[in-house]
Amino acid sequence: MPDLKPFIVLGVALGGVFAMSGVGLVVLYRATGVLNLAYGAIGATGALITWSLLDAGWVPDWVAYLACIVFGGAATLLYGVLFGPPFSARDPLVKATATLGLLLILLGTMQWVWGRDPHGITLPTSRWNREIFDARVSGTQIIGVVFAIVVTTGTAAFLRVTKVGTAMRALADDREITATLGVPVRRVEAAAWLGSGIVCGAAGLLLSNLVGLDIVGLTFLVIPALAAALIGRLQSLWVTLAAGFLIGIVQSSLTAFSDVAEYRTLTPFVLAILALLFFATRQRETDVGSSR
Amino acid sequence: MSEPQAQASDDEPTLVEAAPPASPLDGGEAVSPGAIGGHRTWSGPVRLLVLAVALAFVAFGVPGIIDRYWLQIVTSVVIYSIVTLGLGLLIGRAGMVSLCQFLLLAIGAWVALRLDYATSLPFPLLILIAGVVTGLIGALIGLPALRLSGLYLALITLMAAGAITVVLRIAQFPNGGGGFFGNSAAGGASSRLPRPAIATGDTAYYRYCVAVALLMFLLALWHVRGRPGRAWAALRQSQATAVAAGVNVTLYRLWAFALASFMAGVAGALLAAAAGGVNINQFPVQNSILLLAVVLMGGVYSLGGAVVAALLLRLLPALLDNWGVSTELLTILFGVGVLQVLLTAPGGLVDQVPKDLANLGRGLRKLASPRRAGEEAAQP
Repeated sequence: MPDLKPFIVLGVALGGVFAMSGVGLVVLYRATGVLNLAYGAIGATGALITWSLLDAGWVPDWVAYLACIVFGGAATLLYGVLFGPPFSARDPLVKATATLGLLLILLGTMQWVWGRDPHGITLPTSRWNREIFDARVSGTQIIGVVFAIVVTTGTAAFLRVTKVGTAMRALADDREITATLGVPVRRVEAAAWLGSGIVCGAAGLLLSNLVGLDIVGLTFLVIPALAAALIGRLQSLWVTLAAGFLIGIVQSSLTAFSDVAEYRTLTPFVLAILALLFFATRQRETDVGSSR
Repeated sequence: MSEPQAQASDDEPTLVEAAPPASPLDGGEAVSPGAIGGHRTWSGPVRLLVLAVALAFVAFGVPGIIDRYWLQIVTSVVIYSIVTLGLGLLIGRAGMVSLCQFLLLAIGAWVALRLDYATSLPFPLLILIAGVVTGLIGALIGLPALRLSGLYLALITLMAAGAITVVLRIAQFPNGGGGFFGNSAAGGASSRLPRPAIATGDTAYYRYCVAVALLMFLLALWHVRGRPGRAWAALRQSQATAVAAGVNVTLYRLWAFALASFMAGVAGALLAAAAGGVNINQFPVQNSILLLAVVLMGGVYSLGGAVVAALLLRLLPALLDNWGVSTELLTILFGVGVLQVLLTAPGGLVDQVPKDLANLGRGLRKLASPRRAGEEAAQP
């Protein structure tokens, strides 16, 4: 048995990547019923805009970093305002498929505008390193882990304590009844889109540092992130957070075992499929109602 | 299942928004069997004759008028029309979405290549086994999600797509070596299946593909018109009603998934023997999503939509490339197309274009008639 401690430290850092994206997906899904599969694409586009601003050197660096977050919020809000209401009465599957349209639009735009050159952003925090249990961890990785935990805690508190948060939970339960009670449904939904978009932009900025600013790679990072969200049943923020870290730790620890090390990137998919199998066996009695 | 119930049920009036149009994905109306070809007003024999003439032209006329490069493109259009047919059936008839069909195509090619390496089975049998194995794998992927909602099925296929991509990358796809993975450091980038003896040339192989595609379309038609088609229609309307009517829900949902995967596998085997063979770069994750986009745009309620989808996926990029237009614009266009289909045009291009042409004709006539009246008035 090899010493797993350094791998676990690196795994927590990797888990932060999955956790922050997964939590962002679950928040929006809970409030609006939309599973935003373009999450990675929005973050990637924001990061590329930041790269362009840094490259051009017109603005101070912090403005460029802020641009990524602002783009995430603005693009997500715009999509939510334009396409949220017409899709609001549709099946969750239709809503999720529609975001694939957004994914393709952003992916095509990115490949068209930025596709030719290699890119990279280095946040100042990435230059700062520290050894924990023989594993070298950068400042950005620590920020990623803290960010995931803070976003989860903050969102959970927001949903529980504030008025808008309560309205979002009501919306998630039943949009119609919430509307009859006089809640400004569209405004609350817009708030959810904006909040999720800001988290998405911030995550995009961090992820461009943690996994590299690769257009296709970042866009489809949403797939392993979805694994964490699926284990949380697209419902529980805390389970999603924990699942993100679990996936990261398992995947990183597998590096230590040479027989399976090659296949470690399968971890999110295998864990998600196991979780779904578990849910499927427990869902038997209620399956008729759930497919609507 | 305790997911957000933000959506209203289909038959209740919504307070906030007007009732949305029926869409391929959220139940909606069943399509009458006569609408399959799109031309309900034509009588049967005439339609059959037109289809036969069109098919004869596709098989024998087309190779004569295009060069070798375009023949390869058209061959791939024919092969991909089998994949889009399967996915279209799955979405339009059974109301389920799969995001891993493109990677099942790779599995089909893999199975055919490995079988050819290990045995000396005749080509038609290779195709069939590749289809059956891929169908089984597809059914296996769909199995855990069948008891969960449609969204979960789509997501689990997305997980599968991610997993297959990882395996393909590790194995570098069969590139000519031995063993199960067919991985050889000295092997070429792509691997190719030997063609059947009766179709070694490009034109002959093209006709061979047309014949296989025709068989697949007949298989689809048989399913749609028969008992499975009725079961799927009942399931799409309401699962509870279908259960009450005695439809075996699990069997028919699984069957739809297996059928779509079978078709992807068959197409994969055909693709492995096409010019240039197959290589790992042909199966990026984004193509799974592009495939879904073109299938929705082509139209999932009609078998003709599969052909339109395949043309969009294979012929359009080649044409744009030829004209020097960036193909990334096509990705954007497909993204817009997905939103358009889901919002306003559930029937896709096959359904929408004739309607739009009719509207345009009416509009032009309206435009033309006052002008004519004006001209007449100007005459003394």
